[in-house]
Amino acid sequence: MKKDVNAENIEFLSSGLIAPIKKWGAKWSLWAVHLVTSCCGVELAHAYASGYDAERWGSLNFGMMRQTNLIIVEGTITKKMARALRITWEQMPDPKFVILIGACGIEGGLFWNSYHITRPWKIIPIDYFVPGCPPTPEGLISAIRALQKKIESGEAKTTAKFRETDLAKLLGTEVGKERKPPKPPLKIAEKPEIKIEPKEVEWEFGKKLIEELKNKMPFAEIFAIDINRIYIKTESKFYEKVAELLESEGFDHVKSLNVIDLPHENKFVVECSVSSYSVEELMPVIVTFSVEIPRDKPRIPSLIRFWPSIDYQEREMHDFFGVWFEGNPWMGNKFLLAPEVETPLRKDFKLEEPSYVLER
Amino acid sequence: MLSYLLEMFRQNSVGIPLITRKVVLYHTANKIAYIPPLTSLFAKIPILNLIVALIFWKPFFAVLFAPGLVCILIAILFIIWFERKVTARVQWRYGPLEVSRNVGGIIQPMADGMRYFFQEVIVHREAHKPYFLQFPLITFLPVLLPILVIPAGTIYAINTPYSILVAIALISLIPMIIVAIGWASNSKYAYVGSLREAMMYFSYEIVLMIAAMSMVIIYGSANAIEIVKEQSTIPGILLNPFAALAFFVAIAMATSRFPFEIPEADQEVVFGPFIEYTGIIFGVVMTLAYEKLYLLCMLFSILFLGGWNGPFIPPLGDLSPALWLFLKTIGLMMIFVFFRTFYARYRLDQALKIGWSKLMALAMVALITGLGLGAVNVMGWL
Ligand code: SF4
Repeated sequence: MKKDVNAENIEFLSSGLIAPIKKWGAKWSLWAVHLVTSCCGVELAHAYASGYDAERWGSLNFGMMRQTNLIIVEGTITKKMARALRITWEQMPDPKFVILIGACGIEGGLFWNSYHITRPWKIIPIDYFVPGCPPTPEGLISAIRALQKKIESGEAKTTAKFRETDLAKLLGTEVGKERKPPKPPLKIAEKPEIKIEPKEVEWEFGKKLIEELKNKMPFAEIFAIDINRIYIKTESKFYEKVAELLESEGFDHVKSLNVIDLPHENKFVVECSVSSYSVEELMPVIVTFSVEIPRDKPRIPSLIRFWPSIDYQEREMHDFFGVWFEGNPWMGNKFLLAPEVETPLRKDFKLEEPSYVLER
Repeated sequence: MLSYLLEMFRQNSVGIPLITRKVVLYHTANKIAYIPPLTSLFAKIPILNLIVALIFWKPFFAVLFAPGLVCILIAILFIIWFERKVTARVQWRYGPLEVSRNVGGIIQPMADGMRYFFQEVIVHREAHKPYFLQFPLITFLPVLLPILVIPAGTIYAINTPYSILVAIALISLIPMIIVAIGWASNSKYAYVGSLREAMMYFSYEIVLMIAAMSMVIIYGSANAIEIVKEQSTIPGILLNPFAALAFFVAIAMATSRFPFEIPEADQEVVFGPFIEYTGIIFGVVMTLAYEKLYLLCMLFSILFLGGWNGPFIPPLGDLSPALWLFLKTIGLMMIFVFFRTFYARYRLDQALKIGWSKLMALAMVALITGLGLGAVNVMGWL
């Protein structure tokens, strides 16, 4: 992005003999492509619906980028979405314009130091920013109007006028010096424990089921934690065995797969919840079984051959925690996250520290 | 040679009193003041007179002005604006407005057209390049050729006893071109879209033809001029309402109007066959469905609504019937685009089912009615 694309577009529109016609066409026909990435999209819907009706200015919300000339970036752009945004922008024929709405797009807003957020203005050139979380539909419409004026006059003008104050005085800091806000009082427990304990419940069928399971799995600790909820604690070498037995029992699908990070104890807890669609009395029952694996060598067999639907969840857990599920053929490809983000949900993942520098 | 051509053009030229005759301003006992006719301005100048004569030569006029290219253009510009406006009104919005406040933003499609005209044309790497650029232009062939055989009152290019048949045959070529466009685009959604187009083609085309044929049987002729003459007392829609209904639904399917906007469904296959087109070429292919709508609506008004029958407006001369036909066509198009505001979209299989069961049954009823009425007509009882 070395060239100034925005200026180029405006230059194209205002050059030549028929410049007025070109400008007139582009001005009154700013069709926006639908690229709803987050909650600001609701405001976009508002702006084009009956209350505000941005179509009055000839702007039409359209489904694709090939036939439109305006991208409205709606708030948060994750690292993975950034690719899509860039592709959308590149597919769009010149001359094209971009409006960015929402605080998230400007400096990250709510998510400013999240592990997976980018700044859209680093990805594509933006014509107008609309701050706010979310900005009002009037804000978006005034950005469209401002863009129309920019196309007509060829120069970008801000629509907001700000009062000037001396920040250095206000904050009592020097220019160029980095300041950090006080640290929040973090309370770190020495050895966080997850207690899962048996509970006495009136559940006839459950008792029978637990007995049956106990007979099949003498190596595991099995108890009810609530009505319709059974918990199985076992060792990691029996992980597959438990899955196999549960599958033969009639538990035919996986509800969820979790990994719990316990850095103090140097281990991960892998927790898998299964239930049944096919056996009627098992339908309300959810059985959770958990094993512990060492944190420095997080490997565990995949359960994909018992429940194929576990594939996504295993890949998700691999993305977030770096647990390797042996035997899942798609393991290792980034599934949810952008390639450069590694294990963001581990407790020792370093986020960007809040700090500010006054600049002149 | 030239004078022979000139003579040929002049003998068969469109008579519009407003511009081919003198317009008398006032008339007293010894003085006549008049505006000279526009056409005679160039009558003496060698090449220009030939051009003017050519323009007013009926076949040329039919294809280029009414009911041809210019009328299509006006109809499309109006109908696109109308579609956006009426949708907006139904949704309690204003729709396009600010571009020209005092006329309700009616020049909005022109602004869009200008924008398309000056946008970059992208030819993606996977496209079959020559065809990708060629097909949008070829679409003008099946759009303009039917104009040759569809007359507008006294303005016609070819007067043949097969005009309705030829027109329908030529209009049926348009889906071929759409499928070809989808193939040339060589992309996933274009492929799905053209597949859908081909499927839809099978579901409506036969119904469309049967409905038209049942009317042709009633009138005992496939010549549009005679068909319209037959309808001077009773319009066809009263004679055979089944055929009218079947034809109507088939038009909605053929031109992918709602609720049959399946090949181009922009929420599902993002404009289907036309997804890869940008700039002015997209402008050309996007109007294709509207052009087809125009042609089929014209056929509908000829077959069922008495075509160009209507009070004669003397100053317009030959243009008067053409104007009536145009107005009826536009009215029908407005009905069709109005469907967008309140219909949902059928799935492809539902549309196919309707096409092959209910609609086909309706067409059969229409055909039987047509056969009955045709027999009555032959006996001379009608
Ligand atoms: S700015 Fe606020 S409303 Fe907009 S995307 Fe971000 S969090 Fe959502």
